[in-house]
Amino acid sequence: MSEAMERRAERLKLARLLGHEPDELHYLEDVESSDLRALREQVTEVLFSSQGQVLQRLASASRLLPVGLVAQMGERIFGPVIAARIAGLLDPDRAVELAARLPVSFLADVACELDPRRVEHVLARIPPSQTTEVSRELVRRGETVAMGRFVGCLPDASIRAALGTMDPLTLLQVSFVLENKEQVPDVVGLLEPGQLEAMVEAAEEAGLGDEALELLDLLSKEQRAAVMHDLERRGQRTA
Amino acid sequence: MEERNVSKDGLTALQDQLRVQPPAGLAGLRDDDLHHFAEAIRAARHRQAEHLKDAGDQAFRLVPRLLRGPIKRIVGA
Repeated sequence: MSEAMERRAERLKLARLLGHEPDELHYLEDVESSDLRALREQVTEVLFSSQGQVLQRLASASRLLPVGLVAQMGERIFGPVIAARIAGLLDPDRAVELAARLPVSFLADVACELDPRRVEHVLARIPPSQTTEVSRELVRRGETVAMGRFVGCLPDASIRAALGTMDPLTLLQVSFVLENKEQVPDVVGLLEPGQLEAMVEAAEEAGLGDEALELLDLLSKEQRAAVMHDLERRGQRTA
Repeated sequence: MEERNVSKDGLTALQDQLRVQPPAGLAGLRDDDLHHFAEAIRAARHRQAEHLKDAGDQAFRLVPRLLRGPIKRIVGA
């Protein structure tokens, strides 16, 4: 994937973590994406461990309260940033119960603030139907960078559900910002028939042909051959 | 005089906030930019702590009276 695109995505992620606009971190433009990613991991560690004891005590205390009240407190008082920090400290089943009581818009806010790696054990228990709803909301908001962070932390059924909510251009943009590019063949393997070809077509239309070629490079041999075959077929049809 | 000019270069200020050595690629940034980034981390931590304290106080008011004692003991308030 293009280095410029990776850098932009990393700058977006850092800005969100710090509660800034990406432009305020313009001076990071020329820093390599690998360094930006390492920096983001360091900042994530600092922010998620800050007030760690207080967060842990709140998570423990919440066990004594009815789940509906905790959901109400989370949404109306603590907000998405604190909810994201505390999510990984809750008992996973309790966290899933809580998520079921919260509106999709709030869950989408929380998803943007989460470090998905810290809540993999919770994400594994979230029903794919709820993942679909949250993903649909994130697509509506254009949160492709946030969505890219979740691939690799969700079970296949949830990834498949999320992919099903994405139009070809969104799929393409999410694929550009996946945390681990080695996951591309696995993710592509979860697409519905025709979705990959639609992505390539969307890339051509959006003037992202070069990026799409880089994406093709990441596919397995079989996947690449299938796409090339389809593109050739379409080329013959339009010739 | 600002505190940062008295004692720390930008990389040290950033390292203090991160509590580890920043990635090598950041060494090429201007000192002001490193200070800006270090301050952004400090401010984010501060906002988080303040918000957590205010929210904790507000949330406690919603706790049923019967449970306030046990909750206080766990939270250590």
